[in-house]
Amino acid sequence: MTLQGLWARKRRVIGTATAVVLGVAFLSATLVLGDTLDSSFGAVFRQANAGTDVVVRSATSINTDGGRQRANLDASVVDDVAEVPGVAVAVGEIAGTAQILGSDGSPIGGQGPPTDAGAWIDDPQINPYHVTSGRAPERAGEAVIDAKSASDGGIAVGDTATIRTPDPVEVTVVGLVGFGEKTSLAGATYVGLAPDQAVELLGKAGQVSDVRVRGDGTTSDEALRDAVAEVVPQKAEAITGAELTAEQEKDLQGDFLGFLKYFLLAFAGVALVVATFSIANTFTILSAQRGRESALMRAIGAGRGQVLGIALIEAVVIGAIASAIGLAAGLGLALGLKALLAGFGLDLPGNGLVVEASPMIISFVIGLGATLVAATMPAIRSSRIAPIEALRDAAAESTAVSKIRAAAGLLIGVAGVLVVVTATRTDDGAMVRAGLGSLLVFVAAVTLGPVLARPAAAVVGAPVAGTRGLVGQLARRNAMRNPRRTAGAALALVIGAAVVALFATFGSSLSRSIDDTVSKSFGGDLVVMQDGFSSSGLSPQLARSIDELPEVSETVALSNVVATVDGAEVYPTAGDPKAMANLLDLDVQQGDLGGLPPGEVAITQKYAEAHGLGMGDDLTLAFADGESTTFEVGAVFGVGELLGDMVVNQSDWTPHELRPGNVAVLVGLADGVSLEQGRTAVEQVAEAHGGPKVEDRDQYIDRVAGQVNQLLTLVYGLLVLAILIALIGLANTLSLSIHERSRELGLLRAVGLTRGKLRSMVRWESVITAVVGTVVGLGVGTFLGWGLVRALATQEGFVTFELPAPTLAVVLVLSIGAGVLAAVRPAHRAAKLDVLAAIAEP
Amino acid sequence: MPLATTTQTPDRSAAPHPGGRAVAARTVDAVKVYGTGGTEVRALDGVSVEVPIGTFTAVMGPSGSGKSTLLHCLAGLDTLTSGHVFVGDQELGSLSDRELTRVRRERIGFVFQAFNLLPTLSARENITLPMDLARQKPDAQWLEKVIATVGLEQRLHHRPSELSGGQQQRVAVARALASKPAVVFADEPTGNLDRRSGTEVLSFLREAVDRFGQTVVMVTHDPVAAAYADSVLFLADGRIVDELVEPTASAVLDRMKALGD
Repeated sequence: MTLQGLWARKRRVIGTATAVVLGVAFLSATLVLGDTLDSSFGAVFRQANAGTDVVVRSATSINTDGGRQRANLDASVVDDVAEVPGVAVAVGEIAGTAQILGSDGSPIGGQGPPTDAGAWIDDPQINPYHVTSGRAPERAGEAVIDAKSASDGGIAVGDTATIRTPDPVEVTVVGLVGFGEKTSLAGATYVGLAPDQAVELLGKAGQVSDVRVRGDGTTSDEALRDAVAEVVPQKAEAITGAELTAEQEKDLQGDFLGFLKYFLLAFAGVALVVATFSIANTFTILSAQRGRESALMRAIGAGRGQVLGIALIEAVVIGAIASAIGLAAGLGLALGLKALLAGFGLDLPGNGLVVEASPMIISFVIGLGATLVAATMPAIRSSRIAPIEALRDAAAESTAVSKIRAAAGLLIGVAGVLVVVTATRTDDGAMVRAGLGSLLVFVAAVTLGPVLARPAAAVVGAPVAGTRGLVGQLARRNAMRNPRRTAGAALALVIGAAVVALFATFGSSLSRSIDDTVSKSFGGDLVVMQDGFSSSGLSPQLARSIDELPEVSETVALSNVVATVDGAEVYPTAGDPKAMANLLDLDVQQGDLGGLPPGEVAITQKYAEAHGLGMGDDLTLAFADGESTTFEVGAVFGVGELLGDMVVNQSDWTPHELRPGNVAVLVGLADGVSLEQGRTAVEQVAEAHGGPKVEDRDQYIDRVAGQVNQLLTLVYGLLVLAILIALIGLANTLSLSIHERSRELGLLRAVGLTRGKLRSMVRWESVITAVVGTVVGLGVGTFLGWGLVRALATQEGFVTFELPAPTLAVVLVLSIGAGVLAAVRPAHRAAKLDVLAAIAEP
Repeated sequence: MPLATTTQTPDRSAAPHPGGRAVAARTVDAVKVYGTGGTEVRALDGVSVEVPIGTFTAVMGPSGSGKSTLLHCLAGLDTLTSGHVFVGDQELGSLSDRELTRVRRERIGFVFQAFNLLPTLSARENITLPMDLARQKPDAQWLEKVIATVGLEQRLHHRPSELSGGQQQRVAVARALASKPAVVFADEPTGNLDRRSGTEVLSFLREAVDRFGQTVVMVTHDPVAAAYADSVLFLADGRIVDELVEPTASAVLDRMKALGD
């Protein structure tokens, strides 16, 4: 009987199921993609380390954004290790980074996957790369590059190419290399050089990055490791190739993959919540329309449980079928996402997906569960209706809104707002409070939805009613007539719009804060920056050359220091404090930043307070090479956004620097030199050092803000899914309403409403509902964004709240479009309604 | 010819019929076939009727006789398989859906058996609905007169759910009359009402004909209701089988019995 009922209502069931399908598809795609990436990267690392039985390396390391930084070893270790019994080959690896410039002079890669460079290893088993055309480099000036970079940059064997190490070096490409069957190692660019030149460009004389060891097969890897460990110096360690692989996988998990997975999962979560609300609304309407049917069943003797059971069995059937379809769609989506990643340069080995049972089961259960949860409430409500009541009145759906609901919603809302507001005024656990407050505000929005829907629809509909004549008035009243239903349809949009507004507020405030900080603190004229995240830095020679220009009065070369304090990673900036003080206004509060001598450190007020430090106190920095230096606090300053929490002299950092290079050079022009003259002069110098970008303050601000916006675009792209589900919910609600009002629509047609006007009426009702949902969502999201930004202000140095007005306006306009779109099918169905049949219906 | 007139009296601009009397609506050899082949049903089988202006015509017949189909075709709600329908001198068969909608809005008034009103509109808004749809300003004096006639002055701002069945039907009659249509079509207007309310509604229809010269066509089952009309047309199997002028309830009952209803 349940199945027959479902079949009879297949159109509505399909509408309901679509929301589940999309939610489950997104969830399962995320999980499967995660597994696939894990397994692919695992395969990459296994393959890369396949010929390496044991690795000897420095025991200390510091984890940074760009991976682990580890000190070099003395080159003599290689010979010591080679003599250990059981060792067939021991190779001193020289590893660094170099960016390849394509034949048109533009850098290849560097926007994600690393730009590796190193000494070419002759042992074909230890070397993960193999020459696919040409030959290996034999002397200085020769290089091999990965085949992917070659084809991306239009470089062929025999060509001369430029690599930045960071100073530009011209090399003759004598061969192309591949990784396994692929043309690159998961999208990383690679330059292989002759060992002597590799040491000169990437390393330090007499040192190696690590030692890779291949055994002669007489002992196990573990035994070999233990034997090798006997001869390695202090501060060094030996691990097996398998252990290295496991470590690399783990690092990637915590780093890039972890971020990607949580990011996608968060959106799958939003999509599922939106889907649940959509489904709940559909079930509510369905059960109301079935009120008579259930009442009849009750009247002829079915118990409440039986009526409830039928509704729940129906939900299980819909949930199971939709989740199953969602799983299939999810696999397709995962393939698509993988192809998308490949398009971004993440070229992974292995085809297809890794489909394990657990993500499939999890996705299925969650999809089914969401459907059941969404179906249960309305089912219980409808089973409570006394049979005679439902028989008497066909439209049994109550439109009354309880006072308890209003009071409870108001109470939760006020509490939420208060918690968010207090979060902006305290230091203690501000983020936790802001999060808790956000949750409360959201619960309040859900609770108050039906209370607010009528007045909200009245207000939003007023201009429509005013300008669209009777059609507009009818649309407005239709949107107002059942606030519970309007709220249900709008709620999904509320969530989507709130998340968009939250991110937009965050992004605009971040951009604004950067703008403010740079405008206020940076007194220079030009900035020279490295391109991308993972490229090798700027040549230290660049800053010196710029400083010699007659157009330039002051330069500061900045280096990122990697160190730990009591085990916690810190990122101080190193440079010339005198020049920094001249070009930057860091709001020095104590001491003299410009006169900071070597051996002293300048810290922010915030860091000083957080760690109980004051002028003259000691601060010990541990560097990646295993050395530690104790600094004395010599200055305290206010602005931490530009250089981080600490500033030290370059001379204190240079001995510990693994790869010399600056992240930025700030330039102040001499008096009387125009910005254009200065820029031209600096660009000419930069050209000779690999052509990094030269930007003035506005360009710099725009670019940094642009990076924020790029990330936001990605977020918006994913939120489109949530909006899509919300749209389906809205369309579904409208369709059901239209079905319910068919006699009314028939009457309107009979007394003279044209088809076009009827469509227009449905469209406007949809637009009013969509705008109500969007406006409430934007309001809630912006408020929460404000709360979070303010809460962060005390912690992370967000200074300014900026209302993302243009984005909010765009979202509103889009929501109107979405409303029109959602109404297309319902309006079409309303218009083709048979007038006579509609009127004749009993 | 303007589709809507602004005169005080209902639309009398229809062309005079060769027979001499002006006709508000008529059909010529109207045929309506539902279905095809073995399941074919001839709901109307060559019906030619004339509804003279300023008369009250009742249409009766056993169920399935085609009386509702005739009404729907005359009112532009349904289209003929063959033959012609005229409202005034306007042939309906050649009109597009949009034009038909316009004719319904401006020249025809409806009273259905039930569900005549939009639940979201007040009584007054329901009455002016066809004019609001046409974006025309209702003739205020006329409107007042109509509202006074049906006795709704005190209930104008109530929603349909706040009105009794009889009151709702009076609102429907007022709506049908408010735009001064060429013809008012009523489909079993008293079918859902108690006797007293039914009598009221019928009296209003009668009054509209007598006092305002309105033309009314009503389908009914009820001989008492039919007795309010000037003439009664009897349909059976899609054909006009009889006509009774100045009917009484008992005369109608006798004819009905003869038709075997």
